[in-house]
Amino acid sequence: MQVRKTFIGISRLLSYIRVAHTQNARCFVSWNQPKTSDWKKAVSEAEKIVGYPTSFMSLRCLLSDELANVALQVRKLVGTKHPLLKTARGFLDNGKHSLQTRGLMILLISKAAGAKSENMENVDHSADEMVSGIYPSQRQLAEITEMINTANLVHRGVVNLDTLKDTDGSLKDMEFGNKIAVLSGDFLLTSASTGLAELRNTKVVELVSMAIGDMMSAEFTSLRDRNGQGVLPEGVTFSCWERQTFLQSGSLLSRGCRSAMELAGHNEQVQMAAEEFGKNIAYARQMNEDLLPFANLGVDPNGILSSAPVIRYAEVHGPQSIDTFSGHEKIIATIIRDNETIEWCKEKCRDYGRKAITALDSFEPSEAKSALVNIVQATTAFKPVKS
Amino acid sequence: MATTVLSMSGTSIKMLNYCLKNDVCVHGMKTGFTGASLRRLSMYLKHSCHKTKKESLCTAKVRSHGLPYLGQRFKGRQAEKDLNSPSTHPYTLVENHLNGITCRIKQDLKAIDHELLHVSEYYFDGQGKLFRPMLIMLMAKAANFHETQMDRLLASQEKIAMIAEMIHTASLMHDDVIDAADSRRGKPSINQVWGQRKAIIGGDFVMAMASIELARIRNEDVVSVVAQITEDLVRGEFMQLGSKEREEERFTHYLNKSFKKTASLLANSCKAVAILGQCDEGVEEVAFEYGKNIGISFQLIDDLLDFTSCDHVMGKPTAADLKLGLATAPVLFAAKKYPELNAMIMRRFTEEGDVETARQLVAKSDGVAETRELAQNHSREAVRQIHTLTNSKYTTALERVADMVLSRNK
Repeated sequence: MQVRKTFIGISRLLSYIRVAHTQNARCFVSWNQPKTSDWKKAVSEAEKIVGYPTSFMSLRCLLSDELANVALQVRKLVGTKHPLLKTARGFLDNGKHSLQTRGLMILLISKAAGAKSENMENVDHSADEMVSGIYPSQRQLAEITEMINTANLVHRGVVNLDTLKDTDGSLKDMEFGNKIAVLSGDFLLTSASTGLAELRNTKVVELVSMAIGDMMSAEFTSLRDRNGQGVLPEGVTFSCWERQTFLQSGSLLSRGCRSAMELAGHNEQVQMAAEEFGKNIAYARQMNEDLLPFANLGVDPNGILSSAPVIRYAEVHGPQSIDTFSGHEKIIATIIRDNETIEWCKEKCRDYGRKAITALDSFEPSEAKSALVNIVQATTAFKPVKS
Repeated sequence: MATTVLSMSGTSIKMLNYCLKNDVCVHGMKTGFTGASLRRLSMYLKHSCHKTKKESLCTAKVRSHGLPYLGQRFKGRQAEKDLNSPSTHPYTLVENHLNGITCRIKQDLKAIDHELLHVSEYYFDGQGKLFRPMLIMLMAKAANFHETQMDRLLASQEKIAMIAEMIHTASLMHDDVIDAADSRRGKPSINQVWGQRKAIIGGDFVMAMASIELARIRNEDVVSVVAQITEDLVRGEFMQLGSKEREEERFTHYLNKSFKKTASLLANSCKAVAILGQCDEGVEEVAFEYGKNIGISFQLIDDLLDFTSCDHVMGKPTAADLKLGLATAPVLFAAKKYPELNAMIMRRFTEEGDVETARQLVAKSDGVAETRELAQNHSREAVRQIHTLTNSKYTTALERVADMVLSRNK
């Protein structure tokens, strides 16, 4: 499949980059936190169910002409502080699990929903056969969602050149890094577009395009500053957090799940259930991520100002309660002292988990369904983390 | 202001106003001014041309030029007279549809957050020439007439024109970051105002909105054809990054890149509207070839103007291509006469004095003239394609477009 090839090509391209010096690279809010062993186990089991490991990085493939060109250019990025390197590192380090779970969940829910419904007029699956209980079109969709997510990460790593400090390195390096980031991201997005066109389903194109629009909108809300750092605006409410999370990750996952159902010709009810699942698991995951710096002080607190606990605390205790200039440790300490906020957030997370599992009620019991439930439970279980 | 006093009708004034407002060259219009209309015109100009750039452009436009006699170029055409008449003027024929297209596009940019709205609308300010939508709509009408003998434009075809403009604008937003541009269309570039990050993400947003509208047309073939455009645009950018070692390959590489970056949008959009008009494959092919040739001609003239025009006419600084390290047609042609250019091309004009030397060598050679000739060939080919369709005022207008592309000065 063309889509797969280009994606593998990009990952191979990124693997050329030596990732030794990325600690000081500029950061932006992303989904890169470490995972618990429960989570890893749930995902490993799930990967077996869908028929192949969802980590695409391990496969080798021929590079296309364009990527070979860019690979040569990207080598020059080594040793600079451009965020593209950090994104690439994320691929290689956590490569196996953290970045492919979107695709994995789409594959699982496709399998859980089962074969196409009897009364389908518009969808022509005569040539399609299910492999491990999943249609090729659904697999392609799963890859496309991962591509889109990667493209978004890469584009969010573009640096504003007017905010460079001396510690960031040379302007030329950053300009060059930007150029590569823009082109790679564009390449991934257009590969996703052509992949979507190949699915021959305009409803799916519409849904996924809406998701892309939402992901891009997430950078323009009041919870993000010009450089993609989290900020805490006056009068913030928890619904702002929910909206931000939906735009950032919920939209892609929920519409992706729904599209997978559409591709198999399932009815409106099944589609809505899949959408509900996707949305709530995304909320649960984000809540889990946001709580990590408060449970494990070794975790990178970047983006903490727009995290759920901080927003909840500010909503309850008023706008002056968080001193945004006081530094991360102080903020974390303030909130930990107020146990109520943390507990409220945990309960909210469990609530999202319950909603996600409820959404699956209409699905027949199966291996795939159990795997999904396991993933939800791993996301919403709060055990003490080893420090 | 040049003032040739002849008589001018009401419709001519309207047309002139339209052309001035939309920055369209008015070559070919034998218009004139009575005292009253002259006063009206100078008042209009005083109020709208507040930038020097526009002032000098207006001066150039107000001078009346006759269209070069096309009979010699396109022998055998019976409708020569039509070629000069206002009733087949490309922009006028689709005026109703073009008016307000920018507003309709803005409605499709469903941004909720204030800032995103501003970023995504920044280049939809009515300052663009709307060349692409105009051409696509003309092609749609020509194809419809060929197929059904009816004069109409389907809503879906109009959507394609809007989508093409949105895709084009999104690519401009990315180009400005990649090229580190300071200004475009006479105002600060989008990355200057909002920073590189938001410019890129804003461009992605506009592209996504275009995709949503495309999907809503509910035609899978059209979705594939338009998706091809976005793929070609990016591949074109990649091609620009790399360069070919051997001279023989360079020109092919350049033409290929020009197709992907400029012509693909026109070619595939024309093909898309032909598909929506229920035309057979032959007509789709004609539409594609027309768009392709016009696009390549357009790009060649663009590259030529980079060497011949000056800053305040283009709205962006010139010799821009050389400064970006790009070797375009005039340079490639000049390199045949002055082989020392080859070394400069290989190092992408990065050495001190390269840009100036290259510019001088191109001026001394026939590079510019040869580029123009190649552009003329492509325009001729485009016209040849159009002749295979049923004759109508739209096909005539499309012929005029082929000529407009050659005679533009910005």
